[in-house]
Amino acid sequence: MRAVAGSLHGLVGLAPIAGLVLAWQVLLTAGWVPSALLPSPGAVLARTVASLGDPAFLGHLASTLYRLAAGFAIALAIVFALGLAGATSRIADAALRPVIRVLAPIPKIALYPALILSLGFDDAPKIILVAADALFPILLATYGGAGAVEQKLLWSARAAGTSRAGTILKVVLPATLPSILTGSRIALVVACIVVFLAEMITSTDGLGYLLVRSGRAFQTVDMFVPLLAISAVGLALDGALAAARRVLLRGFPEEE
Amino acid sequence: MSEALSAPLAGRGAPAVPHPGPPMIGMAGVTKTFKRRDGGTHLALDTIDLDVAPGEFVSILGPSGCGKSTLLYIVGGFVAPSGGKVTVSGDPVTGPGPDRGPVFQEFALFPWKTVLGNVAYGLREGGLSRRDAEARAGELIERVGLKGYERFYPQALSGGMKQRVAIARTLAYGPKILLMDEPFGALDAHTRIKLQNQLLELWERDRKTVLFVTHAVDEAVFLSDRVAVMSRQPGRIKEVVAIDLPRPRHRDELLLDRRYQRHVIDLERMIEDPPDLAS
Amino acid sequence: MSRAASRTGAALRPGLPPFLACLALLLAWQIAARFLAVGGVPDALSTFRELPAIIGDREALGEIAASLRRMGAGFGLALLFSVPLGLLMGRSRLVSALVNPLLMVGYPVPKAALMPLIMLWLGVGDAAKILVIVLGVSLPIIYHSRQGARAVEEKLLWSAAAMGMSGPARLARIVLPAALPEILVGCRTGIVLALITMITSEMIARQTGAGNILFNALDMAQYETVYAMILVVSALGIALDVLFERLRSGLTGWAEPIPSPAIAPA
Repeated sequence: MRAVAGSLHGLVGLAPIAGLVLAWQVLLTAGWVPSALLPSPGAVLARTVASLGDPAFLGHLASTLYRLAAGFAIALAIVFALGLAGATSRIADAALRPVIRVLAPIPKIALYPALILSLGFDDAPKIILVAADALFPILLATYGGAGAVEQKLLWSARAAGTSRAGTILKVVLPATLPSILTGSRIALVVACIVVFLAEMITSTDGLGYLLVRSGRAFQTVDMFVPLLAISAVGLALDGALAAARRVLLRGFPEEE
Repeated sequence: MSEALSAPLAGRGAPAVPHPGPPMIGMAGVTKTFKRRDGGTHLALDTIDLDVAPGEFVSILGPSGCGKSTLLYIVGGFVAPSGGKVTVSGDPVTGPGPDRGPVFQEFALFPWKTVLGNVAYGLREGGLSRRDAEARAGELIERVGLKGYERFYPQALSGGMKQRVAIARTLAYGPKILLMDEPFGALDAHTRIKLQNQLLELWERDRKTVLFVTHAVDEAVFLSDRVAVMSRQPGRIKEVVAIDLPRPRHRDELLLDRRYQRHVIDLERMIEDPPDLAS
Repeated sequence: MSRAASRTGAALRPGLPPFLACLALLLAWQIAARFLAVGGVPDALSTFRELPAIIGDREALGEIAASLRRMGAGFGLALLFSVPLGLLMGRSRLVSALVNPLLMVGYPVPKAALMPLIMLWLGVGDAAKILVIVLGVSLPIIYHSRQGARAVEEKLLWSAAAMGMSGPARLARIVLPAALPEILVGCRTGIVLALITMITSEMIARQTGAGNILFNALDMAQYETVYAMILVVSALGIALDVLFERLRSGLTGWAEPIPSPAIAPA
């Protein structure tokens, strides 16, 4: 029953997307918009499918994915280290919180020129930028979650013989996991966006670079392909994370 | 811990109110003050003196805000007293330990662990192998009537079932003392009665020392050997009433028992706040 | 009385640790630049000496002001349609089911990346830049408005309906105020996002604005100017965040302060 209702809702959601594509097509067929400025949806789809068999395109996709994964992994490692420091030491916690508070609202993309200056035009500045941007959503969610761990869970574990340090691993970490995953989900989207932008600003490969290159050549059809690709990458990774979440958090109430 | 596990104290004599040697729980001059927002201090507990004998079931009865839960947390070692001393078997309390098992109103089950995982938790912490811990946990789950629910996560259980898991989790690591913080306060009336009966049954088997916090008069009379009545602001023990009802107790018999009715009426009068004088 | 007193106390004290954190970060920068001497990193002091050149430069100041004006316009426009849409989604399963997949598809697309396309359509003027900002900030505002509307207690709406309030009136007079704390959390994220989208789109379009100054300095290898501009942009980000937090706690003093992460995707 539920599954049927769910898929029905899913179908309803396809309507506006279909409508948008239809309106797009109508604009072109009616001749209101020249196809040089806006290619037809069919042409975009055909080019996207063709690109999937193109090794050059797949190479660009791989570069983007590599930067995404590396940056995200670095962000997670930093979250783990800072979270552990904050959880074990009151002094570290008191020192870290205001620093994070100050650094979080800074637009990290503004640091990109400085990163290029110090690290050159290769992968390194892009990976670091992804890490810097992915870091804060996870960190803030982790801190929020760790601060909200129910006192009596800690007491129950302590009474059962768990040491104070042991509760960090056995209670605080699993209790914070839902927040960490929620933060990661936001961070993943941020990471997709940032890696693309960094590649647009300075790069010789990657999806962002593809967009800029096509734009310079006024190949509007080709401009849509990397945009569709990054959207698909984001959706796929988000779906993977949601699946991981379901497995890891079987005991927790479902998040919408 | 293993001593309590392997050799249940079942069949021990009637609760010994006068008992030679140190009391199981000794509270002497326990006070607790909290800092108020305006900078002043709030006296939550005022020189509490109370001893609990081994195997005794003592309730702390009082209106909300009288500090009765705080007193329990101090005995548990979760909260430090501002003054006075708490001992368990004569040894001063310095922190939580597996000799005192808490059961909270909020259940406080680990949501990421199954029923089996929750009950086995303390056994694993005590050094038992996974297999032994789960076998022992399985027995306890059966004892609280939840056989078949081992692989469920707490969120799938009703409030009454959750609290039975919490009780099993605490009993599993064999504490000498049970510290129960309004354990049935969040349950509906029907479930509450069922769990009270079940708790008494469990208690009759091994006669652990129980410190039981509640604001329900009938519950305190039904379960306890003695009831310590607390007053509010500051939290003080007004009176300690011995409940001279025979055991094992059965609810339907007790409800018709004159002595039970007398206790309920007396205690209800006692916890009624006196007409406001100062506040 | 005591509430007001504690609020001013709270306003004073939380400001101090972040201020100290700023000082500590700048100090760490100064020491690191001096002793590690990473290529191309000027120290904090010489960067600060560069600041008057930017702030005193009328042209640069004018460009930054124009950037901020576009940002304000984009943010305001986004607010106008995002909040009602979000509230509607929160209260109607159908609207939510209709719009949600579209938003999901659009979420991972970098809005500033649409700049080259939009510039093709709208030209290089303000319209393209404002549209990109609108696109950039509307998603979190819609999302949080929806969450806020969803959490409104059903019984509050029943009481209002029983009093004879119509559907749209309930949305405006019950759901909107009840969801306000959550909406403002979305706005806080949105405002940081607006700044990011603004800078990024200027970096990509390379016509005018703060992002453009940043990259011109990079091209001309004026490292101090690059870092000074980063300082200016960072200060803008922090200032906007602090200002907004003030506004938020003023508007929704009745609600528990939600710890709001200023999450900032580009």
